[in-house]
Amino acid sequence: MLSQTDKEILSNKNFHRLVAVRRWVSWLFLLVLLGSYLAFGLLSVYLPSVLARPAFTGGVVPFGIVMGYAILALTFIITLLYVWIANSYFEPLERKIIKEVER
Amino acid sequence: MRHWLAPGIPLFFLLTAQAEAASTIANETGTGNELNINAILMFFVFIALTLAITFWAASRTKTRADFYAAGKNIGGFQNGLAIAGDFMSAATFLGVTALVYSTGLDAMLFVIGGTLGWSVILLLVAERLRNLGQYTFSDVVAFRLQRKPVRTMSAIGSLAVAIPYLLAQMVGAGALIQSLFSLPYEYAVILVGVLMTFYVTFGGMLATTWIQTVKAVLLLSGGTIIGIGVLAMMHFDFSVLVSAAAEAHPKGDAILAPGVMFTDPITIISIGLAFVFGTAGLPHVLMRFFTVPDARQARRSVAYAIGFIGYFQSLIFIIGLGAIVYVSNNPEFLNADGSLIGGTNMAAVHLSKVVGGDLFLGFISAVAFATILAVVSGLTLSAAAAVSHDLYANVICDGDSDRKTELRISRVTTLVIGLTTMALAILLEGENVAVLALIALAIAASVNFPVMFLSMYWSRLTTRGALAGGYAGLATSLVLVMLGPTVWVSLLGFDQPVFPYAYPTLFAMLANLGFAFWFSVSDKSHRAFAESESFDSQWIQSEIGPVQEIP
Repeated sequence: MLSQTDKEILSNKNFHRLVAVRRWVSWLFLLVLLGSYLAFGLLSVYLPSVLARPAFTGGVVPFGIVMGYAILALTFIITLLYVWIANSYFEPLERKIIKEVER
Repeated sequence: MRHWLAPGIPLFFLLTAQAEAASTIANETGTGNELNINAILMFFVFIALTLAITFWAASRTKTRADFYAAGKNIGGFQNGLAIAGDFMSAATFLGVTALVYSTGLDAMLFVIGGTLGWSVILLLVAERLRNLGQYTFSDVVAFRLQRKPVRTMSAIGSLAVAIPYLLAQMVGAGALIQSLFSLPYEYAVILVGVLMTFYVTFGGMLATTWIQTVKAVLLLSGGTIIGIGVLAMMHFDFSVLVSAAAEAHPKGDAILAPGVMFTDPITIISIGLAFVFGTAGLPHVLMRFFTVPDARQARRSVAYAIGFIGYFQSLIFIIGLGAIVYVSNNPEFLNADGSLIGGTNMAAVHLSKVVGGDLFLGFISAVAFATILAVVSGLTLSAAAAVSHDLYANVICDGDSDRKTELRISRVTTLVIGLTTMALAILLEGENVAVLALIALAIAASVNFPVMFLSMYWSRLTTRGALAGGYAGLATSLVLVMLGPTVWVSLLGFDQPVFPYAYPTLFAMLANLGFAFWFSVSDKSHRAFAESESFDSQWIQSEIGPVQEIP
């Protein structure tokens, strides 16, 4: 069923390292983002007063707006982080695996 | 299961029901504006530019890869702009602004959700999609499953998303152009339809991508100018803007708290799911990942797209608050009964006049039209690809189609889709098209995304499971939308909805995942066994791309 190349890749240590790290990074980032979105949604249903109260004492801007913008900022940061990890770690590792297998 | 292959029947029923309602409801969108010469001039400049792009692209569009995927030669930055352009539709620019304008903080759910959906694409889908597919996301689903039935299902999924979404944009476009340019609704729809058919038929993906890029730049600059203009009038103090908005809004401080519009958890979760997973199921968006040369550029595309979209969504909230302050109490923009001229969707457009006068109003009107034109072109192309690449080339011709015939079929399909949507959009004049957009996103989240996701990540998914899940998701979303408040009560006139929630996504997604799981796990056939076996080689290719075979 599997080709010779596929078998070699499956027995390559670096391949399993790449897959494990990438899986861990993606799901962790995703969990953080979806978790914060879910938190926002749940707060707006069950504890609306938290989102409505001013974010800073004496200010008028409600916490909900600040939290919304904070989640947007978090999305930016995570995107940059993922691209950085992918370029500096995943890609060299991918090239290494292909080299090892083709040799 | 075969009778589920015809989602056109309930959809058609829905459309005729709406058309009947349309003839009895008086046209509510007033054409209060006098002829706006600036808008018309800028609009013609844009059309001339897009036609030039189309002629240039037509001379370079010869192969299938050219037509469906712009020769796979688009760079990450430009593709990011085009992806952002696909998402920043009139629904986002005008619709979400309108939502901020009328509900305040509740709209934050849409502002965040619209951006977050893209991180799902970045982290789970984009690179794998590019590594596995050719032209459409069906390529990925059909990678190790039985080609014909699986492609038929995902092509139906694509069409069931693209066509209602297309209609929603066209009807919106007609009303918008009517109030911006004082052009009769029918002419506006025909103009949009003819232009989009022309772009796609002759210029294919290359023209569509460039038009989308130009429009994204225009929209981002226009939005930036409005946003900065609003902040400047508030001396760049965000808290002054917030308190001025609360003061000007009829609901007062309530707009600074959640609960103006959404209060029940099921609705909020369904909206969230539709955004987060629906975005990753939109066929015209997924198609864009095949226009880049490799997985690295696919990743860069989404990263840039997230930057542009997140920035634009943050602007939208400011623009919405600005509209509350400067538009909602300004008699220049109000009808005699105090409602906004052209409806709340026009809030952003009216605000542009406050910020930059008639000339800028003209610019924003032209940009709004350009937005619709670019988005409908992308949708039309994805629908055409579903028919010609998935159904014709792979199901009917068994993957052995003649290139010329396949391209001819996709062009004829484009023409047919263009004519049909024009006719339907004219019938639907004055209707609330939210239901169509709703069906589209719900289907994207509950048919396309789960099947694609499972095929990439779950080795036990079999053809039987994918089909059961996909059709279950499709049927559940259609039935629940029809029994829900939007169709059952508002359109059909019953007192109580059979299904209490407007958004079916939560239930339809669960139906898809549940059916896909059960029918895969219980599938003991030889074929199922072989399909699980071949997961490994698909998995390797999805992780590191196609590898040269060892001789």
